[in-house]
Amino acid sequence: MNKLTLAAAAALLATTALTGCTSSTPAADQTQSTVDEKKAALAIENGWVRVSEYSDHTGGMTGVFATVTNNTDTDITLVGGSAEIAQMVEVHEVVMSGGAMTMQKKEGGIVIPAGESVTLEPGGLHVMLMNLNKAILDGDQITLTLDFDGADSQTLTLPAKTSASGDETYNPEN
Amino acid sequence: MPPVTRRDLLIGASASGVGAAVAGASGYQIASSAGASSQAEALAKQKAADATRVLDAKVPFYGQHQSGVELELQTFTSFVAFDADSHLNLEAFERWMLLLTDDIARLQSGEPVLADAQPQLALGPARLTVTVGLGPRIFDVLNIAALRPAGFAQIPKQKIDKLEERFSEGDLLLHISADDPIVLSHAQRALIRDSLAFGKVRWAQQGFANAQGVNPGGVRQRNLMGQVDGTDNPALGSEQFEKVVWIDAESTDQDWLIGGTQLVLRRIAMQLDTWDKLGRTEKEEVIGRNLENGAPLGKQNETDLPDFGARDESGLLHIPGFAHIRNASARTADEIFFRRPFNYEIGVSELGKPDVGLLWTAYARNLSKQYLPVQERLSKVDLLNLWTTPIGSSVWLIPAGVTVEGEMICSSLIAAAKLL
Repeated sequence: MNKLTLAAAAALLATTALTGCTSSTPAADQTQSTVDEKKAALAIENGWVRVSEYSDHTGGMTGVFATVTNNTDTDITLVGGSAEIAQMVEVHEVVMSGGAMTMQKKEGGIVIPAGESVTLEPGGLHVMLMNLNKAILDGDQITLTLDFDGADSQTLTLPAKTSASGDETYNPEN
Repeated sequence: MPPVTRRDLLIGASASGVGAAVAGASGYQIASSAGASSQAEALAKQKAADATRVLDAKVPFYGQHQSGVELELQTFTSFVAFDADSHLNLEAFERWMLLLTDDIARLQSGEPVLADAQPQLALGPARLTVTVGLGPRIFDVLNIAALRPAGFAQIPKQKIDKLEERFSEGDLLLHISADDPIVLSHAQRALIRDSLAFGKVRWAQQGFANAQGVNPGGVRQRNLMGQVDGTDNPALGSEQFEKVVWIDAESTDQDWLIGGTQLVLRRIAMQLDTWDKLGRTEKEEVIGRNLENGAPLGKQNETDLPDFGARDESGLLHIPGFAHIRNASARTADEIFFRRPFNYEIGVSELGKPDVGLLWTAYARNLSKQYLPVQERLSKVDLLNLWTTPIGSSVWLIPAGVTVEGEMICSSLIAAAKLL
Protein backbone atom coordinates (compact mmCIF):
# COMPACT_ATOMS: atom_id res chain seq x y z
CA MET A 1 0.00 0.00 0.00
CA ASN A 2 1.25 3.50 -0.74
CA LYS A 3 2.13 5.93 1.93
CA LEU A 4 -0.97 7.63 3.19
CA THR A 5 -1.24 10.95 1.42
CA LEU A 6 -2.23 14.26 2.92
CA ALA A 7 -5.42 14.12 0.87
CA ALA A 8 -6.24 10.70 2.27
CA ALA A 9 -5.55 11.90 5.79
CA ALA A 10 -7.82 14.86 5.20
CA ALA A 11 -10.52 12.61 3.77
CA LEU A 12 -10.24 10.34 6.78
CA LEU A 13 -10.67 13.13 9.23
CA ALA A 14 -13.61 14.49 7.26
CA THR A 15 -15.48 11.23 7.71
CA THR A 16 -14.29 10.68 11.25
CA ALA A 17 -15.61 13.27 13.63
CA LEU A 18 -12.96 12.93 16.25
CA THR A 19 -13.57 13.76 19.82
CA GLY A 20 -10.44 12.19 21.16
CA CYS A 21 -7.64 10.13 19.83
CA THR A 22 -9.08 6.67 19.59
CA SER A 23 -11.09 4.93 16.94
CA SER A 24 -14.19 5.53 18.98
CA THR A 25 -16.39 8.12 17.30
CA PRO A 26 -19.64 9.63 18.54
CA ALA A 27 -21.43 7.52 15.95
CA ALA A 28 -19.75 4.39 17.24
CA ASP A 29 -20.58 5.33 20.81
CA GLN A 30 -24.20 5.63 19.84
CA THR A 31 -24.18 2.14 18.35
CA GLN A 32 -22.54 0.84 21.48
CA SER A 33 -25.14 2.35 23.79
CA THR A 34 -27.93 0.93 21.64
CA VAL A 35 -26.37 -2.45 22.16
CA ASP A 36 -26.09 -1.74 25.87
CA GLU A 37 -29.78 -1.05 26.10
CA LYS A 38 -30.51 -4.38 24.46
CA LYS A 39 -28.14 -6.28 26.74
CA ALA A 40 -29.63 -9.17 28.64
CA ALA A 41 -30.98 -8.23 32.05
CA LEU A 42 -28.66 -10.84 33.47
CA ALA A 43 -25.31 -11.82 31.96
CA ILE A 44 -23.52 -14.97 33.11
CA GLU A 45 -19.96 -15.12 31.82
CA ASN A 46 -16.79 -17.17 32.18
CA GLY A 47 -18.66 -20.04 33.81
CA TRP A 48 -17.03 -23.38 34.62
CA VAL A 49 -17.58 -26.45 36.75
CA ARG A 50 -14.80 -27.75 38.96
CA VAL A 51 -13.33 -31.22 38.51
CA SER A 52 -11.72 -32.68 41.64
CA GLU A 53 -11.56 -35.86 43.67
CA TYR A 54 -14.98 -34.87 45.06
CA SER A 55 -16.58 -34.93 41.60
CA ASP A 56 -15.03 -38.01 40.00
CA HIS A 57 -17.66 -40.46 41.26
CA THR A 58 -21.40 -40.95 41.49
CA GLY A 59 -22.74 -39.35 44.67
CA GLY A 60 -19.97 -36.75 44.64
CA MET A 61 -20.30 -32.99 44.55
CA THR A 62 -18.66 -29.96 43.02
CA GLY A 63 -18.81 -26.19 42.60
CA VAL A 64 -19.97 -24.01 39.72
CA PHE A 65 -18.28 -20.66 39.20
CA ALA A 66 -19.04 -17.66 36.97
CA THR A 67 -19.40 -13.91 36.87
CA VAL A 68 -23.02 -12.83 37.12
CA THR A 69 -23.86 -9.28 36.03
CA ASN A 70 -27.17 -7.58 36.79
CA ASN A 71 -27.88 -5.09 34.00
CA THR A 72 -31.21 -3.97 35.47
CA ASP A 73 -31.93 -1.27 38.01
CA THR A 74 -33.36 -3.63 40.63
CA ASP A 75 -31.58 -6.27 42.70
CA ILE A 76 -31.70 -9.87 41.50
CA THR A 77 -31.17 -12.89 43.77
CA LEU A 78 -29.69 -16.22 42.73
CA VAL A 79 -31.72 -18.67 44.77
CA GLY A 80 -30.85 -22.11 43.43
CA GLY A 81 -31.16 -24.28 40.37
CA SER A 82 -31.37 -27.70 38.86
CA ALA A 83 -29.22 -29.99 36.72
CA GLU A 84 -29.66 -33.40 35.19
CA ILE A 85 -26.30 -34.47 36.55
CA ALA A 86 -27.06 -33.63 40.22
CA GLN A 87 -29.85 -34.49 42.61
CA MET A 88 -29.54 -31.14 44.31
CA VAL A 89 -28.31 -27.68 43.33
CA GLU A 90 -27.67 -25.19 46.13
CA VAL A 91 -26.24 -21.72 46.59
CA HIS A 92 -23.31 -21.75 48.98
CA GLU A 93 -20.90 -19.50 50.74
CA VAL A 94 -17.55 -20.23 52.37
CA VAL A 95 -17.01 -18.97 55.89
CA MET A 96 -14.29 -19.24 58.50
CA SER A 97 -15.46 -21.62 61.18
CA GLY A 98 -13.36 -23.12 63.95
CA GLY A 99 -10.14 -22.13 62.17
CA ALA A 100 -11.14 -23.82 58.91
CA MET A 101 -12.75 -22.57 55.74
CA THR A 102 -16.01 -24.43 55.52
CA MET A 103 -18.88 -24.05 53.15
CA GLN A 104 -22.49 -23.75 54.02
CA LYS A 105 -25.79 -23.00 52.35
CA LYS A 106 -26.21 -19.29 51.73
CA GLU A 107 -29.44 -18.35 53.45
CA GLY A 108 -31.59 -16.09 51.30
CA GLY A 109 -29.50 -16.74 48.18
CA ILE A 110 -26.84 -14.59 46.49
CA VAL A 111 -27.92 -11.02 45.84
CA ILE A 112 -26.63 -9.41 42.64
CA PRO A 113 -27.19 -5.71 43.27
CA ALA A 114 -28.68 -3.53 40.52
CA GLY A 115 -26.06 -2.65 37.91
CA GLU A 116 -23.35 -4.73 39.56
CA SER A 117 -21.44 -7.98 39.04
CA VAL A 118 -20.88 -10.77 41.54
CA THR A 119 -18.12 -13.28 40.96
CA LEU A 120 -18.75 -16.85 42.04
CA GLU A 121 -15.28 -18.25 42.70
CA PRO A 122 -13.44 -21.00 44.55
CA GLY A 123 -13.19 -20.10 48.22
CA GLY A 124 -16.14 -17.71 47.96
CA LEU A 125 -19.73 -17.64 46.83
CA HIS A 126 -20.63 -20.49 44.48
CA VAL A 127 -23.30 -22.84 43.24
CA MET A 128 -22.99 -26.41 44.46
CA LEU A 129 -23.94 -29.49 42.46
CA MET A 130 -24.66 -32.15 45.10
CA ASN A 131 -25.22 -35.89 45.02
CA LEU A 132 -23.98 -36.28 41.46
CA ASN A 133 -25.69 -38.84 39.25
CA LYS A 134 -22.36 -39.56 37.55
CA ALA A 135 -18.74 -38.53 37.64
CA ILE A 136 -17.75 -35.17 36.14
CA LEU A 137 -14.60 -35.39 34.02
CA ASP A 138 -12.25 -32.81 32.51
CA GLY A 139 -13.77 -31.28 29.40
CA ASP A 140 -17.31 -32.47 30.14
CA GLN A 141 -20.03 -30.03 29.14
CA ILE A 142 -22.37 -29.62 32.09
CA THR A 143 -25.86 -28.22 31.52
CA LEU A 144 -27.60 -26.61 34.46
CA THR A 145 -30.40 -24.15 35.11
CA LEU A 146 -30.01 -21.31 37.60
CA ASP A 147 -33.11 -19.84 39.26
CA PHE A 148 -33.41 -16.20 40.25
CA ASP A 149 -35.75 -13.95 42.17
CA GLY A 150 -36.27 -10.90 39.97
CA ALA A 151 -35.15 -12.49 36.67
CA ASP A 152 -35.94 -15.46 34.46
CA SER A 153 -34.18 -18.76 35.05
CA GLN A 154 -31.13 -19.31 32.83
CA THR A 155 -29.95 -22.58 31.33
CA LEU A 156 -26.21 -22.79 30.70
CA THR A 157 -23.75 -25.32 29.35
CA LEU A 158 -20.36 -24.94 31.01
CA PRO A 159 -17.06 -26.74 30.61
CA ALA A 160 -15.72 -28.82 33.50
CA LYS A 161 -12.05 -28.54 34.39
CA THR A 162 -9.59 -29.36 37.12
CA SER A 163 -8.72 -26.66 39.59
CA ALA A 164 -6.50 -27.07 42.61
CA SER A 165 -8.14 -24.05 44.18
CA GLY A 166 -11.38 -24.35 46.11
CA ASP A 167 -11.06 -27.15 48.66
CA GLU A 168 -13.37 -25.56 51.16
CA THR A 169 -12.27 -27.85 53.97
CA TYR A 170 -8.72 -26.48 53.63
CA ASN A 171 -7.43 -25.36 57.02
CA PRO A 172 -4.49 -22.95 56.82
CA GLU A 173 -3.45 -23.80 60.39
CA ASN A 174 -2.75 -27.42 59.58
CA MET B 1 2.45 -0.06 4.08
CA PRO B 2 5.31 2.09 5.31
CA PRO B 3 4.56 3.55 8.70
CA VAL B 4 2.98 6.98 8.70
CA THR B 5 5.36 9.27 10.48
CA ARG B 6 4.36 11.62 13.20
CA ARG B 7 5.47 14.50 10.98
CA ASP B 8 3.14 13.39 8.18
CA LEU B 9 0.30 13.48 10.63
CA LEU B 10 1.12 16.88 11.95
CA ILE B 11 1.33 18.23 8.41
CA GLY B 12 -1.94 16.51 7.62
CA ALA B 13 -3.55 18.07 10.63
CA SER B 14 -2.43 21.59 9.93
CA ALA B 15 -3.18 21.29 6.23
CA SER B 16 -6.74 20.35 6.96
CA GLY B 17 -7.06 22.57 9.94
CA VAL B 18 -9.26 20.10 11.76
CA GLY B 19 -7.57 16.86 12.74
CA ALA B 20 -6.58 13.48 11.44
CA ALA B 21 -6.92 9.87 12.38
CA VAL B 22 -4.80 7.24 10.78
CA ALA B 23 -4.46 3.56 11.49
CA GLY B 24 -0.76 2.79 11.73
CA ALA B 25 0.84 -0.19 10.08
CA SER B 26 0.77 -2.20 13.29
CA GLY B 27 -2.85 -1.48 13.99
CA TYR B 28 -2.70 1.18 16.62
CA GLN B 29 -4.36 4.50 16.21
CA ILE B 30 -2.72 7.84 15.77
CA ALA B 31 -4.55 11.09 15.81
CA SER B 32 -3.98 14.76 16.23
CA SER B 33 -6.14 17.80 15.91
CA ALA B 34 -5.80 21.49 15.40
CA GLY B 35 -5.84 22.52 19.04
CA ALA B 36 -2.40 22.47 20.61
CA SER B 37 -3.71 20.71 23.71
CA SER B 38 -5.40 17.95 21.77
CA GLN B 39 -2.27 17.62 19.67
CA ALA B 40 -0.27 17.09 22.83
CA GLU B 41 -2.92 14.68 24.01
CA ALA B 42 -2.68 12.80 20.73
CA LEU B 43 1.08 12.51 21.00
CA ALA B 44 0.78 11.33 24.59
CA LYS B 45 -1.70 8.66 23.55
CA GLN B 46 0.55 7.71 20.67
CA LYS B 47 3.45 7.41 23.07
CA ALA B 48 1.37 5.24 25.40
CA ALA B 49 0.35 3.00 22.48
CA ASP B 50 4.00 2.74 21.40
CA ALA B 51 4.99 1.75 24.92
CA THR B 52 2.76 -1.35 24.87
CA ARG B 53 2.93 -2.05 21.14
CA VAL B 54 4.61 -5.45 21.64
CA LEU B 55 2.14 -6.48 24.34
CA ASP B 56 -0.97 -5.36 22.44
CA ALA B 57 -0.19 -7.10 19.14
CA LYS B 58 -2.67 -9.94 18.65
CA VAL B 59 -2.66 -12.94 16.32
CA PRO B 60 -6.26 -14.01 15.52
CA PHE B 61 -7.15 -17.47 16.78
CA TYR B 62 -10.02 -18.14 14.37
CA GLY B 63 -9.02 -18.90 10.79
CA GLN B 64 -8.72 -21.50 8.08
CA HIS B 65 -5.29 -22.53 9.38
CA GLN B 66 -3.94 -22.77 12.90
CA SER B 67 -1.90 -19.74 13.87
CA GLY B 68 1.81 -19.85 14.64
CA VAL B 69 2.92 -21.18 11.26
CA GLU B 70 2.50 -18.53 8.54
CA LEU B 71 3.77 -15.84 10.86
CA GLU B 72 6.94 -13.86 11.48
CA LEU B 73 8.93 -15.37 14.32
CA GLN B 74 7.94 -14.46 17.82
CA THR B 75 10.78 -13.82 20.25
CA PHE B 76 10.14 -16.72 22.65
CA THR B 77 8.98 -20.24 21.97
CA SER B 78 8.23 -23.49 23.74
CA PHE B 79 7.47 -26.87 22.24
CA VAL B 80 5.68 -29.12 24.75
CA ALA B 81 5.08 -32.77 23.84
CA PHE B 82 2.74 -35.13 25.65
CA ASP B 83 2.49 -38.90 25.80
CA ALA B 84 -1.21 -39.71 25.66
CA ASP B 85 -2.55 -41.91 28.46
CA SER B 86 -2.70 -45.49 27.19
CA HIS B 87 -6.46 -45.58 27.83
CA LEU B 88 -7.15 -42.29 26.03
CA ASN B 89 -10.17 -42.86 23.82
CA LEU B 90 -11.90 -40.70 21.27
CA GLU B 91 -14.43 -39.41 23.79
CA ALA B 92 -11.66 -38.27 26.16
CA PHE B 93 -9.63 -36.84 23.25
CA GLU B 94 -12.65 -34.73 22.31
CA ARG B 95 -12.86 -33.40 25.89
CA TRP B 96 -9.13 -32.56 25.72
CA MET B 97 -9.58 -30.63 22.47
CA LEU B 98 -12.58 -28.79 23.90
CA LEU B 99 -10.54 -27.52 26.84
CA LEU B 100 -7.52 -26.64 24.69
CA THR B 101 -9.66 -24.77 22.15
CA ASP B 102 -11.32 -22.68 24.84
CA ASP B 103 -7.98 -22.00 26.53
CA ILE B 104 -6.16 -21.01 23.34
CA ALA B 105 -8.95 -18.72 22.12
CA ARG B 106 -8.84 -16.87 25.44
CA LEU B 107 -5.05 -16.76 25.76
CA GLN B 108 -4.48 -15.46 22.23
CA SER B 109 -6.87 -12.61 23.07
CA GLY B 110 -4.78 -11.82 26.13
CA GLU B 111 -7.44 -13.13 28.52
CA PRO B 112 -7.01 -15.60 31.40
CA VAL B 113 -8.34 -19.14 30.92
CA LEU B 114 -11.32 -20.40 32.91
CA ALA B 115 -10.22 -21.43 36.42
CA ASP B 116 -6.93 -19.61 35.86
CA ALA B 117 -4.70 -19.95 38.91
CA GLN B 118 -2.81 -16.76 37.95
CA PRO B 119 -5.24 -14.59 35.95
CA GLN B 120 -3.04 -11.58 36.75
CA LEU B 121 -0.37 -12.97 34.40
CA ALA B 122 -2.60 -12.73 31.34
CA LEU B 123 -0.92 -9.39 30.63
CA GLY B 124 -2.04 -9.19 27.01
CA PRO B 125 -1.73 -11.12 23.74
CA ALA B 126 1.92 -10.28 22.87
CA ARG B 127 1.41 -12.19 19.57
CA LEU B 128 0.86 -15.40 21.53
CA THR B 129 0.10 -18.37 19.34
CA VAL B 130 -0.58 -21.95 20.37
CA THR B 131 -0.41 -24.54 17.61
CA VAL B 132 -1.66 -28.07 18.30
CA GLY B 133 0.01 -31.03 16.60
CA LEU B 134 -0.57 -34.79 16.55
CA GLY B 135 2.21 -37.39 16.54
CA PRO B 136 2.05 -40.63 14.53
CA ARG B 137 1.40 -42.91 17.54
CA ILE B 138 -1.76 -41.15 18.80
CA PHE B 139 -3.68 -42.73 15.91
CA ASP B 140 -2.87 -46.13 17.43
CA VAL B 141 -3.75 -45.01 20.96
CA LEU B 142 -7.12 -43.72 19.72
CA ASN B 143 -7.58 -46.82 17.57
CA ILE B 144 -8.03 -44.74 14.41
CA ALA B 145 -4.94 -45.85 12.46
CA ALA B 146 -6.97 -45.66 9.22
CA LEU B 147 -6.98 -41.87 9.59
CA ARG B 148 -3.17 -41.54 9.76
CA PRO B 149 -1.91 -40.08 6.46
CA ALA B 150 0.12 -42.45 4.29
CA GLY B 151 3.84 -42.16 4.97
CA PHE B 152 3.44 -40.05 8.12
CA ALA B 153 6.03 -41.47 10.55
CA GLN B 154 9.06 -40.43 12.59
CA ILE B 155 12.06 -39.48 10.41
CA PRO B 156 14.13 -42.63 9.73
CA LYS B 157 17.34 -42.60 11.75
CA GLN B 158 20.03 -40.66 9.89
CA LYS B 159 23.66 -41.70 10.32
CA ILE B 160 24.46 -38.24 11.73
CA ASP B 161 21.70 -38.54 14.37
CA LYS B 162 22.46 -38.92 18.06
CA LEU B 163 18.86 -38.69 19.14
CA GLU B 164 17.90 -38.52 22.79
CA GLU B 165 14.50 -39.69 23.95
CA ARG B 166 14.06 -36.60 26.14
CA PHE B 167 13.96 -34.46 22.97
CA SER B 168 12.21 -36.85 20.59
CA GLU B 169 8.80 -38.11 19.47
CA GLY B 170 5.48 -37.69 21.30
CA ASP B 171 1.72 -38.00 20.81
CA LEU B 172 0.49 -34.42 21.12
CA LEU B 173 2.35 -31.15 20.64
CA LEU B 174 1.58 -27.71 21.99
CA HIS B 175 3.81 -25.21 20.21
CA ILE B 176 3.51 -22.00 22.20
CA SER B 177 5.19 -18.76 21.12
CA ALA B 178 4.95 -15.12 22.18
CA ASP B 179 6.90 -11.90 22.18
CA ASP B 180 6.93 -11.86 25.99
CA PRO B 181 8.37 -14.65 28.17
CA ILE B 182 5.91 -14.14 31.05
CA VAL B 183 2.91 -14.26 28.74
CA LEU B 184 4.37 -17.46 27.29
CA SER B 185 5.07 -19.00 30.69
CA HIS B 186 1.55 -18.28 31.93
CA ALA B 187 -0.04 -19.76 28.81
CA GLN B 188 2.14 -22.87 28.98
CA ARG B 189 1.27 -23.48 32.62
CA ALA B 190 -2.47 -23.19 31.97
CA LEU B 191 -2.37 -25.45 28.90
CA ILE B 192 -0.30 -28.12 30.65
CA ARG B 193 -2.57 -28.06 33.70
CA ASP B 194 -5.60 -28.63 31.49
CA SER B 195 -3.86 -31.49 29.64
CA LEU B 196 -2.74 -33.60 32.59
CA ALA B 197 -6.07 -35.45 32.74
CA PHE B 198 -5.26 -36.89 29.30
CA GLY B 199 -1.52 -37.44 29.18
CA LYS B 200 1.90 -36.78 30.68
CA VAL B 201 4.49 -34.26 29.58
CA ARG B 202 7.14 -36.09 27.56
CA TRP B 203 9.42 -33.11 27.02
CA ALA B 204 9.41 -29.32 26.78
CA GLN B 205 11.95 -27.46 24.67
CA GLN B 206 12.41 -23.70 24.91
CA GLY B 207 13.92 -21.43 22.30
CA PHE B 208 14.22 -17.84 21.19
CA ALA B 209 14.63 -15.59 18.19
CA ASN B 210 15.46 -11.90 17.89
CA ALA B 211 13.60 -9.42 20.06
CA GLN B 212 10.93 -7.27 18.39
CA GLY B 213 12.37 -4.23 16.70
CA VAL B 214 15.66 -5.96 15.89
CA ASN B 215 14.96 -7.60 12.54
CA PRO B 216 13.51 -5.49 9.74
CA GLY B 217 10.99 -8.26 9.00
CA GLY B 218 10.63 -11.69 7.51
CA VAL B 219 11.42 -14.99 9.14
CA ARG B 220 15.16 -14.97 8.43
CA GLN B 221 17.48 -14.27 11.30
CA ARG B 222 21.01 -15.19 12.28
CA ASN B 223 21.54 -18.47 14.08
CA LEU B 224 24.11 -18.77 16.87
CA MET B 225 26.83 -19.78 14.39
CA GLY B 226 26.37 -16.35 12.86
CA GLN B 227 24.75 -17.52 9.65
CA VAL B 228 21.74 -15.89 8.07
CA ASP B 229 19.04 -18.54 8.32
CA GLY B 230 15.90 -18.98 6.24
CA THR B 231 16.91 -17.10 3.09
CA ASP B 232 15.08 -19.02 0.36
CA ASN B 233 11.91 -19.63 2.34
CA PRO B 234 8.54 -19.29 0.60
CA ALA B 235 7.28 -15.79 1.41
CA LEU B 236 4.52 -15.47 4.03
CA GLY B 237 1.17 -14.94 2.32
CA SER B 238 2.49 -16.03 -1.09
CA GLU B 239 0.94 -18.49 -3.49
CA GLN B 240 4.10 -20.57 -3.13
CA PHE B 241 3.61 -20.78 0.64
CA GLU B 242 0.06 -22.01 0.10
CA LYS B 243 1.29 -24.70 -2.31
CA VAL B 244 4.26 -25.78 -0.20
CA VAL B 245 2.71 -25.76 3.27
CA TRP B 246 -1.09 -25.94 3.40
CA ILE B 247 -2.66 -29.27 2.58
CA ASP B 248 -5.48 -29.27 0.01
CA ALA B 249 -7.70 -32.08 -1.26
CA GLU B 250 -5.20 -33.10 -3.97
CA SER B 251 -2.21 -33.34 -1.65
CA THR B 252 -3.52 -35.75 0.98
CA ASP B 253 -5.21 -39.12 1.29
CA GLN B 254 -6.97 -37.82 4.43
CA ASP B 255 -9.72 -35.26 3.85
CA TRP B 256 -9.86 -34.39 7.54
CA LEU B 257 -6.34 -32.89 7.22
CA ILE B 258 -7.26 -30.31 4.53
CA GLY B 259 -6.18 -26.87 5.73
CA GLY B 260 -3.46 -28.40 7.89
CA THR B 261 0.22 -29.11 7.41
CA GLN B 262 3.04 -31.38 8.59
CA LEU B 263 5.86 -30.27 10.89
CA VAL B 264 9.26 -31.74 11.64
CA LEU B 265 11.11 -30.44 14.70
CA ARG B 266 14.82 -31.26 14.91
CA ARG B 267 16.92 -30.28 17.89
CA ILE B 268 20.34 -29.59 16.40
CA ALA B 269 23.23 -29.06 18.82
CA MET B 270 26.04 -26.76 17.69
CA GLN B 271 29.69 -27.33 18.61
CA LEU B 272 30.55 -23.66 18.82
CA ASP B 273 33.98 -24.23 20.40
CA THR B 274 35.35 -26.05 17.35
CA TRP B 275 33.35 -23.88 14.92
CA ASP B 276 35.07 -20.81 16.38
CA LYS B 277 38.46 -22.28 15.38
CA LEU B 278 37.60 -21.79 11.70
CA GLY B 279 38.55 -18.63 9.88
CA ARG B 280 35.96 -16.56 8.13
CA THR B 281 36.69 -17.97 4.66
CA GLU B 282 36.43 -21.55 5.91
CA LYS B 283 33.15 -20.76 7.69
CA GLU B 284 31.76 -19.27 4.48
CA GLU B 285 32.85 -22.27 2.42
CA VAL B 286 31.21 -24.72 4.84
CA ILE B 287 27.87 -23.01 4.25
CA GLY B 288 28.37 -21.66 0.72
CA ARG B 289 27.24 -18.18 1.68
CA ASN B 290 29.13 -15.14 2.86
CA LEU B 291 28.71 -14.21 6.50
CA GLU B 292 28.30 -10.50 5.85
CA ASN B 293 24.90 -10.52 4.16
CA GLY B 294 24.18 -14.18 3.41
CA ALA B 295 24.78 -13.90 -0.36
CA PRO B 296 25.73 -17.19 -2.07
CA LEU B 297 29.49 -17.31 -2.69
CA GLY B 298 30.25 -15.63 -6.01
CA LYS B 299 27.11 -13.47 -5.77
CA GLN B 300 26.29 -10.08 -4.28
CA ASN B 301 22.94 -10.24 -2.49
CA GLU B 302 21.28 -12.61 -0.01
CA THR B 303 18.39 -13.24 -2.38
CA ASP B 304 20.59 -13.97 -5.43
CA LEU B 305 20.23 -17.58 -6.60
CA PRO B 306 23.34 -19.70 -5.97
CA ASP B 307 25.29 -20.70 -9.10
CA PHE B 308 26.58 -24.15 -8.20
CA GLY B 309 28.65 -24.42 -11.42
CA ALA B 310 30.42 -21.06 -11.14
CA ARG B 311 34.22 -21.15 -10.74
CA ASP B 312 36.78 -18.54 -9.80
CA GLU B 313 39.78 -17.54 -11.98
CA SER B 314 41.82 -20.50 -10.72
CA GLY B 315 39.08 -22.89 -11.76
CA LEU B 316 37.80 -23.72 -8.25
CA LEU B 317 34.11 -23.88 -7.55
CA HIS B 318 32.82 -20.75 -5.76
CA ILE B 319 30.55 -23.03 -3.74
CA PRO B 320 32.61 -26.11 -2.77
CA GLY B 321 31.25 -29.62 -3.21
CA PHE B 322 30.94 -30.10 0.54
CA ALA B 323 29.05 -26.82 1.15
CA HIS B 324 25.77 -26.98 3.06
CA ILE B 325 23.66 -25.12 0.52
CA ARG B 326 24.75 -27.37 -2.34
CA ASN B 327 22.85 -30.30 -0.88
CA ALA B 328 20.28 -28.28 1.06
CA SER B 329 18.97 -26.54 -2.05
CA ALA B 330 15.95 -28.04 -3.74
CA ARG B 331 16.86 -30.32 -6.67
CA THR B 332 13.25 -30.57 -7.83
CA ALA B 333 10.16 -28.42 -7.40
CA ASP B 334 8.92 -30.97 -4.85
CA GLU B 335 11.83 -30.37 -2.46
CA ILE B 336 10.66 -27.03 -1.09
CA PHE B 337 9.46 -26.56 2.49
CA PHE B 338 9.07 -23.68 4.94
CA ARG B 339 11.58 -23.28 7.76
CA ARG B 340 10.84 -21.44 11.01
CA PRO B 341 13.88 -22.10 13.22
CA PHE B 342 14.41 -20.84 16.76
CA ASN B 343 17.69 -20.90 18.72
CA TYR B 344 18.20 -22.54 22.06
CA GLU B 345 20.81 -21.91 24.73
CA ILE B 346 20.68 -23.88 27.98
CA GLY B 347 23.49 -22.82 30.27
CA VAL B 348 27.26 -23.03 29.99
CA SER B 349 29.72 -25.75 31.04
CA GLU B 350 32.51 -25.25 33.57
CA LEU B 351 34.92 -24.75 30.67
CA GLY B 352 32.72 -22.12 29.11
CA LYS B 353 31.15 -24.31 26.46
CA PRO B 354 27.56 -23.23 25.84
CA ASP B 355 24.82 -25.80 25.29
CA VAL B 356 23.43 -24.15 22.17
CA GLY B 357 21.76 -25.04 18.95
CA LEU B 358 18.62 -24.82 16.90
CA LEU B 359 15.05 -25.85 17.38
CA TRP B 360 14.89 -26.32 13.64
CA THR B 361 11.46 -26.65 12.09
CA ALA B 362 10.19 -27.36 8.62
CA TYR B 363 6.56 -27.26 7.50
CA ALA B 364 5.37 -29.05 4.38
CA ARG B 365 2.27 -30.63 2.89
CA ASN B 366 4.14 -33.91 2.85
CA LEU B 367 7.40 -34.28 4.77
CA SER B 368 8.41 -37.55 3.12
CA LYS B 369 8.23 -35.99 -0.35
CA GLN B 370 9.43 -32.47 0.35
CA TYR B 371 11.83 -32.67 3.31
CA LEU B 372 13.15 -36.20 3.63
CA PRO B 373 15.12 -36.34 0.33
CA VAL B 374 16.95 -33.14 1.30
CA GLN B 375 17.70 -34.42 4.82
CA GLU B 376 19.01 -37.70 3.46
CA ARG B 377 21.33 -35.85 1.06
CA LEU B 378 22.60 -33.64 3.87
CA SER B 379 23.11 -36.63 6.17
CA LYS B 380 25.51 -38.05 3.58
CA VAL B 381 27.42 -34.98 2.39
CA ASP B 382 27.47 -31.74 4.35
CA LEU B 383 30.65 -30.46 5.96
CA LEU B 384 28.44 -28.60 8.45
CA ASN B 385 27.72 -32.00 10.05
CA LEU B 386 31.15 -31.72 11.71
CA TRP B 387 29.89 -28.91 13.91
CA THR B 388 26.20 -29.82 14.23
CA THR B 389 24.50 -32.89 15.69
CA PRO B 390 20.77 -33.70 15.59
CA ILE B 391 19.89 -34.75 19.16
CA GLY B 392 16.10 -34.58 18.97
CA SER B 393 13.52 -35.34 16.32
CA SER B 394 9.74 -35.41 16.15
CA VAL B 395 7.08 -35.11 13.48
CA TRP B 396 3.60 -33.65 13.84
CA LEU B 397 0.39 -33.21 11.91
CA ILE B 398 -0.96 -29.70 12.36
CA PRO B 399 -4.73 -29.95 11.74
CA ALA B 400 -6.70 -27.07 10.19
CA GLY B 401 -7.69 -24.00 12.18
CA VAL B 402 -10.97 -23.29 13.94
CA THR B 403 -13.08 -21.03 11.74
CA VAL B 404 -16.09 -20.35 13.96
CA GLU B 405 -16.71 -20.05 17.67
CA GLY B 406 -18.15 -23.28 19.07
CA GLU B 407 -16.02 -25.51 16.85
CA MET B 408 -12.92 -27.14 18.26
CA ILE B 409 -9.41 -28.01 17.16
CA CYS B 410 -9.36 -31.46 15.47
CA SER B 411 -13.15 -31.33 14.91
CA SER B 412 -12.77 -32.75 11.39
CA LEU B 413 -10.59 -35.60 12.68
CA ILE B 414 -13.10 -36.38 15.44
CA ALA B 415 -15.97 -36.31 12.93
CA ALA B 416 -14.06 -38.67 10.61
CA ALA B 417 -13.21 -40.98 13.52
CA LYS B 418 -16.87 -41.25 14.50
CA LEU B 419 -17.66 -42.51 11.00
CA LEU B 420 -15.10 -45.34 11.18
